[in-house]
Amino acid sequence: MNKSASVVIIGGGISGCAIAYNLAKKGVKDVIIIEKEYLSSGATGRCGAGIRMQWGTEMNCRLAKYSVEFFETANEVLEYAGDVEFKQGGYLIIAATEKEVAQFQKNIKLQNSLGIPSRYITPQEAKEIVPHMDETQILGAAFNPKDGHLNPFHTTQAYADAAVRLGVEIMKYTEVTGIKVENGKIAGVQTDKGYISTPVVVNAAGGHAQIISEMVGVKLPLYSERHQILVTEAVEPMQGPMFMSFSQNIYCQQTPHGSFIMGRGDPTEPRDLRVTSSWEFLEEMAKTCIRFLPPLKDIRMVRQWAGLYNMSPDAQPIYGPVKDVEGFFLACGYSGHGFMFGPVTGVVVSESILGEEHTIPVDALSYDRFEKGELILEPSVV
Amino acid sequence: MIKTDIVVIGGGPAGICAAINAASSGAKVLLLDRDSQLGGQLIKQTHMFFGSQKQHASVRGIDIPGILVKEMEEYKDNIQIMLDATVLGIYEDGVLTIEKNDDYIKIKPKGIIVATGASEKFPAFPNNDLPGIYGAGAVQTLMNVYGVSPGKSVFMVGAGNIGLIVSYQLVQAGVEVKGVICRGPRYGGYAVHASKLKRIGVPIMPGHRVIHAHGKDKLERITLIKLDENKKEISGTEFDIETDVLCISTGLTPLGELLWQMGCEMKFIREFSGHVPVRNEELETTVPGVFVAGDVAGIEEASSAMVEGRLAGLCCAKKLGFTNPEYSSLKEDYLQQLHDLRSGPVGDGIRKGLAKIVV
Ligand SMILES: Cc1cc2nc3c(=O)[nH]c(=O)nc-3n(C[C@H](O)[C@H](O)[C@H](O)COP(=O)(O)OP(=O)(O)OC[C@H]3O[C@@H](n4cnc5c(N)ncnc54)[C@H](O)[C@@H]3O)c2cc1C
Ligand SMILES: Cc1cc2nc3c(=O)[nH]c(=O)nc-3n(C[C@H](O)[C@H](O)[C@H](O)COP(=O)(O)OP(=O)(O)OC[C@H]3O[C@@H](n4cnc5c(N)ncnc54)[C@H](O)[C@@H]3O)c2cc1C
Repeated sequence: MNKSASVVIIGGGISGCAIAYNLAKKGVKDVIIIEKEYLSSGATGRCGAGIRMQWGTEMNCRLAKYSVEFFETANEVLEYAGDVEFKQGGYLIIAATEKEVAQFQKNIKLQNSLGIPSRYITPQEAKEIVPHMDETQILGAAFNPKDGHLNPFHTTQAYADAAVRLGVEIMKYTEVTGIKVENGKIAGVQTDKGYISTPVVVNAAGGHAQIISEMVGVKLPLYSERHQILVTEAVEPMQGPMFMSFSQNIYCQQTPHGSFIMGRGDPTEPRDLRVTSSWEFLEEMAKTCIRFLPPLKDIRMVRQWAGLYNMSPDAQPIYGPVKDVEGFFLACGYSGHGFMFGPVTGVVVSESILGEEHTIPVDALSYDRFEKGELILEPSVV
Repeated sequence: MIKTDIVVIGGGPAGICAAINAASSGAKVLLLDRDSQLGGQLIKQTHMFFGSQKQHASVRGIDIPGILVKEMEEYKDNIQIMLDATVLGIYEDGVLTIEKNDDYIKIKPKGIIVATGASEKFPAFPNNDLPGIYGAGAVQTLMNVYGVSPGKSVFMVGAGNIGLIVSYQLVQAGVEVKGVICRGPRYGGYAVHASKLKRIGVPIMPGHRVIHAHGKDKLERITLIKLDENKKEISGTEFDIETDVLCISTGLTPLGELLWQMGCEMKFIREFSGHVPVRNEELETTVPGVFVAGDVAGIEEASSAMVEGRLAGLCCAKKLGFTNPEYSSLKEDYLQQLHDLRSGPVGDGIRKGLAKIVV
């Protein structure tokens, strides 16, 4: 089965589907998404799916704000038959150290100046928002009622359905095994189901992005690392916001369905592509969760799993073209927060491909920032 | 963290036999079951078993665990039994996590024998979760283990051996069985079971499917439709039957989650009703030190489950350095028994399945 396309997108996660939708909306024909398994089988379907506007740099605040505003009307804009389940219950980010108190107060000033309604609150106020928390464990908290979380499967499906209606083809269970470059230009993509000739390839392969890039001889400064997460049985709604802490290493949300989803990182995690689970995670997660949210000790967990963070040197995504290979575009390196940037990804990468000016300020996220040494200093990453 | 030589997961006929043979070879064994008694499926089977003498044919299913447990007592120094203990997970470092009476326990064995049996398949139709709709296993458990009648009238979906046997047992227990349907043009179980039912006037209705369940708070009525010889629905042939219990007996599928989690190579084998692990003749999976036995290795019968258990126990122990003095002759005997059980036309499917999965 050989065919041709105008753009081939590698990866059927939130990034690939959002890019395909935006390209098709702009009238691009013959866009193909290639996904080696099923939609959302990568980090997207494994993630915490939280979105926060509480960032420490102006750019990230703006990108997140753009995404929140999009998610607020995503069901209508994408004409989705289901529901992306955007629960806008806020993000409550606890301050457990003096350093965090100072940082959050600084961040909030910046956020407020950009129209983000975050505020610094006392432990007492935090307890009013999350009544089952142990407020004696914290010094204060940052709260933004407009943050929240979504259902990542529905969100991706919403983009995919809209893209397909606009003519995009999605090839599932198809793996890219090679990319053909001729005279410094993309010529086509080899898959296990046949060859597709195309002048444009988008690398939206999540934790496998560095492997895809090597197929065109580009060595990206990226690595992947396992992050684990679990889900509990469903209980009555009791927690509005995403509860999180940078220093204490926890995020925990309650889905509209009633299940709690929570995760934490492990600083000793090796750099590789494993997505297996460990019992150590369960134990550490349970301890951390019960310390801050004691009543959750009575809830049963039903499942644990893991996904890959695709880490870049400054923990920021890489968007746009690669100088040395004409027609090769990047949408990777999200470093653990690429779900919330999905709407931005879709817009800016489609603009890059069409040579249009960016409508959202992401020039600082181009690949050549590493060459120039212009890394982004975002203080508020997990 | 508990340390032991071999953990056997599942205390059905396969697991008990595996524990016996591993222990008799000299290994320390921990036998786990999530139920509060040993026996697996057998504890609810009041009928006489078929098969050959060696595998306790003509004994009632419920009496077999007792015989096996007695045999196990000979090796009690080597066997520890832990009941009400559900294995939740097996991790890449070989650690098992267990929930027992709300306690969380970790075990690190050197070898693992998975004998978790099977779970029931459940067809999809609107309202299939109404109270009053049961799996055949639940009906059997209620009736034969707890002495509780599932309802006044039962309609049975599925005419394999389990559907036929459970229908007959229901009638014996004084419950009205309104009919037994299956999709194909003929019932799937043995003729002995079917003719018993026919004799007492229970209609067996091949070529039907349930398409809807009705009821407000619990099941009141079902809608059936006729199927042609290709199992396609014939529109306009829908009709309703009143019943307060619908019993689903549409087959079992191997309960292989733990094997998936360990990373055993799994293959879909139609003849075994689901995904089963690739294994060698000794029942070792593609993950070294992890063995399987019984229904989890492919839906068969208690007779073969017991022999597989013995073989897996013997070979897993050998792998860890506990070689039974009679290893070679025992192994040969078990392989011969399995061969005999699977010969003849009834074993056709099993033999075909094995050809695809044993490496
Ligand atoms: C545990 C965890 C929690 C997270 N929590 C959050 C959060 O709360 N908020 C947030 O914003 N982000 C979060 N993230 C990060 C987020 O999940 C990712 O940044 C985002 O989903 C990336 O989406 P993507 O579409 O770029 O990549 P992916 O979703 O990984 O999609 C890439 C796809 O490419 C496919 N692929 C790879 N190689 C090939 C090939 N050779 N051929 C064909 N297809 C291929 C894969 O199968 C995969 O489906 C979390 C991540 C993890 C692991
Ligand atoms: C109605 C009926 C009639 C039958 N008639 C016959 C017959 O006449 N002759 C015959 O030979 N066979 C017959 N069988 C088949 C026979 O019962 C099964 O093939 C046999 O029981 C399979 O044995 P097993 O040990 O593999 O699994 P099971 O008997 O199913 O035992 C598995 C055990 O594993 C435990 N378990 C599962 N998961 C976990 C976990 N995660 N942690 C801890 N424990 C776990 C379960 O609690 C269970 O006790 C019949 C079956 C049925 C249902």
